[in-house]
Amino acid sequence: MNVHLQEDLSKHTLRADDGIAKGADLLKVENISLSFGGVKAITDISFDIKKGEIRAIIGPNGAGKTSMLNVINGFYFPQQGTITFRGEKRRRARASETARDGIARTFQNIALFKGMSTLDNIMTGRITLQKRSLLWHALWKGPAEREEIEHREAVERIIDFLEIEHIRKTPVGRLPYGLQKRVELGRALAADPALLLLDEPMAGMNLEEKADMSRFILDVNQQYGTTIALIEHDMGVVMDLSDRVVVLDYGKKIGDGTPDEVRNNPDVIDAYLGVPH
Amino acid sequence: MFYRTAGQFKTSYSADQALFPVRQDAVLLIVILAFAWIIFPLTASEFTFQTLLIPILIYSLAALGLNILTGYAGQLSLGTGAFMGVGAYACYKMVTLMPWMNPIVAILLSGVFSAGIGVVFGIPSLRIKGFYLAIATLAAQFFLVWLFEKWAWLYNYNASGAIQVPNLDMFGVYVAGPQATSFTQYYVVLAIVSLLTWVCINLTRGRPGRTWKATRDMDIAAELIGIDLMRSKLTAFAVSSYIVGVAGALFVFMWRGAAEPNLFDIPLSFRILFIAIIGGLGSVLGNYLGAILIVGLPVVLGIVPEALGLEITSATVEHLNVMIVGGLIIFFLIIEPHGLAQLWRLIREKLIIWPFPH
Ligand SMILES: Nc1ncnc2c1ncn2[C@@H]1O[C@H](COP(=O)(O)OP(=O)(O)OP(=O)(O)O)[C@@H](O)[C@H]1O
Ligand SMILES: [Mg+2]
Repeated sequence: MNVHLQEDLSKHTLRADDGIAKGADLLKVENISLSFGGVKAITDISFDIKKGEIRAIIGPNGAGKTSMLNVINGFYFPQQGTITFRGEKRRRARASETARDGIARTFQNIALFKGMSTLDNIMTGRITLQKRSLLWHALWKGPAEREEIEHREAVERIIDFLEIEHIRKTPVGRLPYGLQKRVELGRALAADPALLLLDEPMAGMNLEEKADMSRFILDVNQQYGTTIALIEHDMGVVMDLSDRVVVLDYGKKIGDGTPDEVRNNPDVIDAYLGVPH
Repeated sequence: MFYRTAGQFKTSYSADQALFPVRQDAVLLIVILAFAWIIFPLTASEFTFQTLLIPILIYSLAALGLNILTGYAGQLSLGTGAFMGVGAYACYKMVTLMPWMNPIVAILLSGVFSAGIGVVFGIPSLRIKGFYLAIATLAAQFFLVWLFEKWAWLYNYNASGAIQVPNLDMFGVYVAGPQATSFTQYYVVLAIVSLLTWVCINLTRGRPGRTWKATRDMDIAAELIGIDLMRSKLTAFAVSSYIVGVAGALFVFMWRGAAEPNLFDIPLSFRILFIAIIGGLGSVLGNYLGAILIVGLPVVLGIVPEALGLEITSATVEHLNVMIVGGLIIFFLIIEPHGLAQLWRLIREKLIIWPFPH
């Protein structure tokens, strides 16, 4: 498995190799506020994500975690504040462009393409890397076929890595929930992201599935060097996996630091025990 | 037995991506091609050419065009008939303005006009979806047919308001117009339909097909993985309308011989939509199966009872046809949304494991 990944690293220039040193700021979120009509989902939040780390975002239901990811990947444009990704300030742009810049994600509610197989779903992750025009694809033979095979090879390495060879050709709608989550991770990985956003990748999984998923997340981080932002409710998982944790509550940041610091932070303890404000 | 795949292993991804990973499929295709290219044209009567072979091919192509848009990219259109009309009128204007033009080139170019107009009418799809988009395409349908009637330049100011296909020849052989034989026209249609089918297979199995299907299955997720939805939808409109336009040019130039504006009205749009639905949305093969059924059924209904000595009036045949087609559409929409193509897939899977189902 690791052999495959190393091959991958040597064969492709990963977007993770973007000249930003490990430990330097990959993403900076500054004074972000986002509201929907009257509902304030996020209020004046700032934090950073360093290259190479696993950064957890935690908080009770409705704290604004998913909204934060939606801001980071350009799905929502915040009313206030700035996002700086790889040293460049984000302008207002279509969400599809953020993906092209190297931010990939998975979704809290699985968002796979139901009518397609596992293989095709993961192949869609590479759409932004496929450059041949429609006309070449109409001909198939030649450049388009070469491009398809090249990307298929990359996708097969991901399929091996996630241990889903047996469901390669299965329509994803027929897969059990846990496997669907894994395919979704595969689709995000296929984009060779510089920053991977995972929204509750283990929600609704049993212990064994959670252990597998944790292992994949750690391997991705260590072998590919991919920076990961992770939303997760299972505190055990968060404490084991993450390098640093941001804690949100009612749209505000109430804690930020290593898992140990956060665990002992009185505001965080209050939020989780439901002390009224 | 027939479909045993044991012993056929893939050793490369290109082999696995091949159109027919299972050898028997390739054999079946060769048999079908042999019938289409050799046996049918050599044995068919004028009646068979005109009531079955030529229209089945043309309707298949039109349904294939619609299927790219509706089945693959998920954008429902009720304007197929009008886009066929654009292709037909474009072809008519080209061959009458430039009589030296090679008729096959003219037919292939006429799709460019329908593609352009398809993209224009596809712009609303960037804002609206589903039912509302269907209504917008219906507006295109009404507008275009109205234009075919009112814009006399389109039909060269003929008093009848219709377009009449002139005699067109290629290397001394008539391929369109009253002088052309069904035999020649069949081959022209077959060649163009084969070519465009091959193009569609290529487009749908690679990146463009995945882009369209992602747009269809979940547009928000598609956008968040980097798909430009506007491009995805507009290319689907362009490719689809191109094919539909060429089908429209063939429809008039290789089969009907003449056309009035109302030929391209809503009943034609629905006929194509029914073929795509019964054949199977999101399939290439299905369009052929659907066209065989829709075109063949009334012919069979007209012949079989007579051969059995039953007396059925042609009005009854017509009613029977409508009832059966209606029933089939309800059946497929409710029970098997992927149509005849899916039924074939199931049969094929059964054959692969037959006679040992476990
Ligand atoms: N599209 C939207 N329109 C209106 N309100 C929204 C929208 N998205 C989120 N909200 C509101 O913003 C707040 C934060 O929601 P968000 O989904 O970000 O929370 P979360 O931390 O991800 O919660 P959970 O743990 O339940 O997933 C909630 O009050 C929610 O109702
Ligand atoms: Mg959430």
